[in-house]
Amino acid sequence: MTKRLVQGNEAVLLGAVKAGATFFAGYPISPSSEILAQASVHAASHPEFRFIQEEDEIASVNAILGGSLAGAKSFTATSGPGFSLMQEAVGYGHKVGIPCVIINVQRVGPGTGMPTMPGQGDLLQTRYGSTGDYTSIVFYPSTVAECYEYTIYAFNAAEESRSPVILLSDAFLGHLNEVADLDAIKVPIIPRTLEPLASGSTRLFSGVATYPDGEPATADGDEFIRQYYEGKACREEVADRYAFFEHGWNKDAETLVIAFGITPRVAQPLSPYFALFRPIRIWPTLDKELAEIAPRYKKIIVIEGSDGQYANVVESVLLRRVERVPLLGGRMSIEAISEGLERIGMLPAGFAPSGSKPPARVG
Amino acid sequence: MAVKDKLKTDLFPTIWCPGCGIGLIMTQLATVMDELGLDKNNTVLITGIGCTGRMGAYMNFESVYTLHGRTLPVAEAVKIVRPELNVIVVSGDGDTASIGGNHLMHSIRRNANVTVICNNNEIYGLTGGQAGPTTPAGTKTLSSPAGATYSPINLQGLVNTNPNAFYAKTTVYHQGPMKKAIKEAIQWPGFAFVDVASQCIENNGRRIGFSSANEMLQNYRTEYKAAPAGATRLETHQTGIIKGERPAGHAPNNGEN
Repeated sequence: MTKRLVQGNEAVLLGAVKAGATFFAGYPISPSSEILAQASVHAASHPEFRFIQEEDEIASVNAILGGSLAGAKSFTATSGPGFSLMQEAVGYGHKVGIPCVIINVQRVGPGTGMPTMPGQGDLLQTRYGSTGDYTSIVFYPSTVAECYEYTIYAFNAAEESRSPVILLSDAFLGHLNEVADLDAIKVPIIPRTLEPLASGSTRLFSGVATYPDGEPATADGDEFIRQYYEGKACREEVADRYAFFEHGWNKDAETLVIAFGITPRVAQPLSPYFALFRPIRIWPTLDKELAEIAPRYKKIIVIEGSDGQYANVVESVLLRRVERVPLLGGRMSIEAISEGLERIGMLPAGFAPSGSKPPARVG
Repeated sequence: MAVKDKLKTDLFPTIWCPGCGIGLIMTQLATVMDELGLDKNNTVLITGIGCTGRMGAYMNFESVYTLHGRTLPVAEAVKIVRPELNVIVVSGDGDTASIGGNHLMHSIRRNANVTVICNNNEIYGLTGGQAGPTTPAGTKTLSSPAGATYSPINLQGLVNTNPNAFYAKTTVYHQGPMKKAIKEAIQWPGFAFVDVASQCIENNGRRIGFSSANEMLQNYRTEYKAAPAGATRLETHQTGIIKGERPAGHAPNNGEN
């Protein structure tokens, strides 16, 4: 039990090691690069942990697919632009059924964007970024300790669902230093579920529609549909076991704030005025939980680091309009949130973000 | 063990067109694997997208049919995680040298201890016959109706940017030298690349004036000559093996003393 100062990105690396990861492949990109650097440091003193710095993110993601097939729990870390480059392989991992973990420490996009500023604009690309239909499992922690904890869950979910699982973070959270006691966090570790390459079989791991015996099934719609629903059912069943969320702040308030990642912590001074729903499992959406909690509130405000990516999702889940506070340009601050609330006429009377004392915490 | 045991003959006939050169490579690869004692417990095949990529499905080994161009990152990762395995990449020229070109360059630089067998038919065959990175200038293809504009990529020069790498050029007509090249490449302790000229009659040969696969094979016979002994560089249409300096202490791939 040792409390110490830990950085969000460092906690991710420590969580991966705790989960049993033994292979990292990556390419430097702000604001995720500490994970790459610390993986290399860890590999230097742990021969069982293999590391490669790749020529690009496409190589990185394909390498972790290969490393996983070869028998190692494998992961990579990147940010939005790198994650975009990885998308084809994400779909391949879903099709073939390869457990691995991709960390996306988000910055402001699109393009090269604002490399050191926090954003949350990769939500939809974690769900729909690759070609075709697939069922993504995505977690988004909110504290440094949670970075550690949910990285372990991400590896567990990857093993159980046999798919690439994504852990979202952001520049704010990744570079945040907090006191945490990581040893006190106990998550059971799911062992490997995939028989490694060259263990006596003659399997064909193929991204092409293929019959179990290796023959191409590229024109057999029935076989494709059978395999698709089999994969979907497996991943949804696994996701059900990881339905993480937080319902807190002032639960008796009239208005529910929905926010995730670093955002609810930035919005903390508003805690006396609003209830909070914080999805930790971003995908699949927490439909059941939202349907149960949302009707208790007259209004819903989604505060997020994109122009409505999650707000649109919530509307489609609840079939109900929500208010929006987009935090753009890396402005993840209570001032920006207050401005956004004022714009939609929902800033609590008397609340001033700066120059005033923060309101007392409730509960 | 017999060569036949290396193949999933129950899946034959293959999907390759009659007259295709890929089967000639697969046969020699299976023969070499048999002679070197390579089996499903010590060897994996990593294949790319294109006609050649289907080879993994027909061999009695674990194989990964990767995304287009991504054989080498997958292969190198398998070798890093499981250094005791023989990792053999089988892919076409388009997959290896065009869409996978960046990975090729860097796997060469890192001297990745994998063997690449490149079925070089100078065309994108599976998509119908478009010009590729190895198509000779002037060749008429579906995407170069007036003749390909640029000269082919210099694969030998690229491989030899690493002084410790292994490069062999051979053709499917020259079965003996091709077998020797594949065997030595698999045994090479470091990056090894076998560049096999191979005919695509249906989606290239007919368009450029050949009437049969046999004509293309006979063309290899007359066009290609073995490089003189001791050559350090292969000229165009020369077959041979250019070996690197073999750094001391590099763990051998298989059966190497």
